[in-house]
Amino acid sequence: MLLATPIRLIEKIGFESIYITRLTGSMIIFLVHCLGNIFILPIRFTAVLRQIYFIGARSLLVIIVTGMFTGMVLALLAYYNLKQYGNMELIGAATALGLIQELGPVLAALMVIGRAGSAMTAELGIMRNSEQIDALECMGIDPYRFLITPKFIATIFSLPLLTCVFDVVGICGGYLVAVINNDVPSGAFIQGMITNVDWADLRLGLVKPLTFSVIIVWICSYKGFYVHQNRSGVFGAEGVSLVTTNAVVMSSVSVLALDYVVGLIML
Amino acid sequence: MPDVSTQDKDIEHVIRVENLVTHFGDREILHNVNINVRKGEVMVIMGGSGSGKTTLLRHMLGLHQASSGSIYMLGQDITQLSKKQMYEMRRNMGVAFQGGALFSSMTVAENIQLPLYEHTSLDDMTIKIMTRMKLEVVNLAGFEDLMPSELSGGMIKRVALARSIIMDPRLLFFDEPSAGLDPVVSAELDELILRLRDAMGMTIVIVTHELDSAFRIADRITVLDQGQILITGSVEDVKNCDNERVQNLLNRKPKDEDIDPEAYLQRLTREG
Amino acid sequence: MEIKKRNEAGHSIISLIGEVDLHYSPRAREEILNTLKDKQNVLIDLSDVSYIDSSGIASLVEGYQLSKKAGQSFGLLNISNAAMQVLKLARLDSVFPIYSNIDEIQN
Repeated sequence: MLLATPIRLIEKIGFESIYITRLTGSMIIFLVHCLGNIFILPIRFTAVLRQIYFIGARSLLVIIVTGMFTGMVLALLAYYNLKQYGNMELIGAATALGLIQELGPVLAALMVIGRAGSAMTAELGIMRNSEQIDALECMGIDPYRFLITPKFIATIFSLPLLTCVFDVVGICGGYLVAVINNDVPSGAFIQGMITNVDWADLRLGLVKPLTFSVIIVWICSYKGFYVHQNRSGVFGAEGVSLVTTNAVVMSSVSVLALDYVVGLIML
Repeated sequence: MPDVSTQDKDIEHVIRVENLVTHFGDREILHNVNINVRKGEVMVIMGGSGSGKTTLLRHMLGLHQASSGSIYMLGQDITQLSKKQMYEMRRNMGVAFQGGALFSSMTVAENIQLPLYEHTSLDDMTIKIMTRMKLEVVNLAGFEDLMPSELSGGMIKRVALARSIIMDPRLLFFDEPSAGLDPVVSAELDELILRLRDAMGMTIVIVTHELDSAFRIADRITVLDQGQILITGSVEDVKNCDNERVQNLLNRKPKDEDIDPEAYLQRLTREG
Repeated sequence: MEIKKRNEAGHSIISLIGEVDLHYSPRAREEILNTLKDKQNVLIDLSDVSYIDSSGIASLVEGYQLSKKAGQSFGLLNISNAAMQVLKLARLDSVFPIYSNIDEIQN
């Protein structure tokens, strides 16, 4: 009896390890298959454009609104914290750097996860459940190439652009708060930005969205595509909602983790 | 082997399933299944729910990997083919799934034309005419620009059928074609299936549990029960088969149970 | 598939020989359309067609439609059994002008 619990524990550890290994392997094969297809011509431009519209264009409003408020908050915080030291000219720099290096990439990614990532998972899950993916296979059409590769291309293209929009709108928002609301000299704001933001920061601010886009599409489309193999063994609509929630959570956490890793490597 | 039809060595078999065994996890779903389908025949695979007939179909379509055994399509063992070779093989196969499996973001016409756009370099006009011809064949002329969400269940099935025959494949597979259709439409569909066999020389495999439909159009019937083939033969052979399980299936007899009044009352009124 | 052309009785007769399927029908289509462009009356000889699929039939349909617009005559000559079955399935056997031999046209 006393041996039962440790044995159970070891069993569980073994079980989980096998599961995680299998899952990792499966996900990597999935990723390679989808990304590999990017380089096989011809690319289906109509499909890619459609995805750019859904993932990129339709996220624009959300990005602008969130960007605006984030920039405003950043400037407000910077003002509040810096005014006691009198370093007003750093407010511009703080706002811009905060956005470009960190908040732009991460928040834009999170918005896209919420809007497009969840839609991706749900759409693929429903397609899987109604045998549409099987139908593609039986027509001799590679479902990875047909359904998922366009999403990768579209997101890799759109997310950096959305991030830039976020940054720019955020800086404008910060300008509004600092200069117009709080009497920070306009010249100081702008000059502070120009002096302190350099190419390395911009590079960081673009590499991040590139990596984030891969991880978002990877996780969200994998979960939807394989909804029929979900761990809880749930079917139908419940299965779809389960994997969608999982996908959003998992990709959000992964983005944050990746954010740290990329920062570590590049800073 | 419970195949009572004439064993003629000269008959060409376009599909040969040999000693197929498959598992879901630890459960064995198909036990040593053997089926031959002849060129140009309508083979109906019949069985109750849980008999494994849909699983068998999915293996024939190459959607599942068997635990052991071989499946020969047009002479090639599809369990041994590479992914690319399998995609090539699939050009010869048309499939209509149970729920239609139409792509909800495409119109009816776009759904039907998809294989043509992906696999051929035919002119747009030719493709348009071919699509409309198939719609005429399934009695859905004029419906090209509707979306799947605007169609009734019967219409969805007919569009799925049109899509499955757009490339004039040599092999056609239907999963429960009559399910959810009214008798008139169902009979029309059966008519169509027979015409396809006669005019295009298609070999057609149908998985169904509808007895009437099966008897009407089958050249041969395979009865599957709990993962095993009970009999393969002509309609007459199956009707006259003296295997008890086959007869139960044909007569739609539920499992016989003598009711114990006390026990029954208990079951109805117990706590919890 | 082979294509042979000849002129007879004021018509350009295009003979399709063999299997007219997804691979070969574009060529047949091209031949038919080019002949129509040359302002010819067209007859398609289907006596040696061993197999024809929807893409082949579609080419015939397109040719017929164009000929009507241009005021040229168009017809099917001597249809093989294989081709007739497919035409019947597509319900086109009553749509095309069909002749069993050249003399019928002259009448």
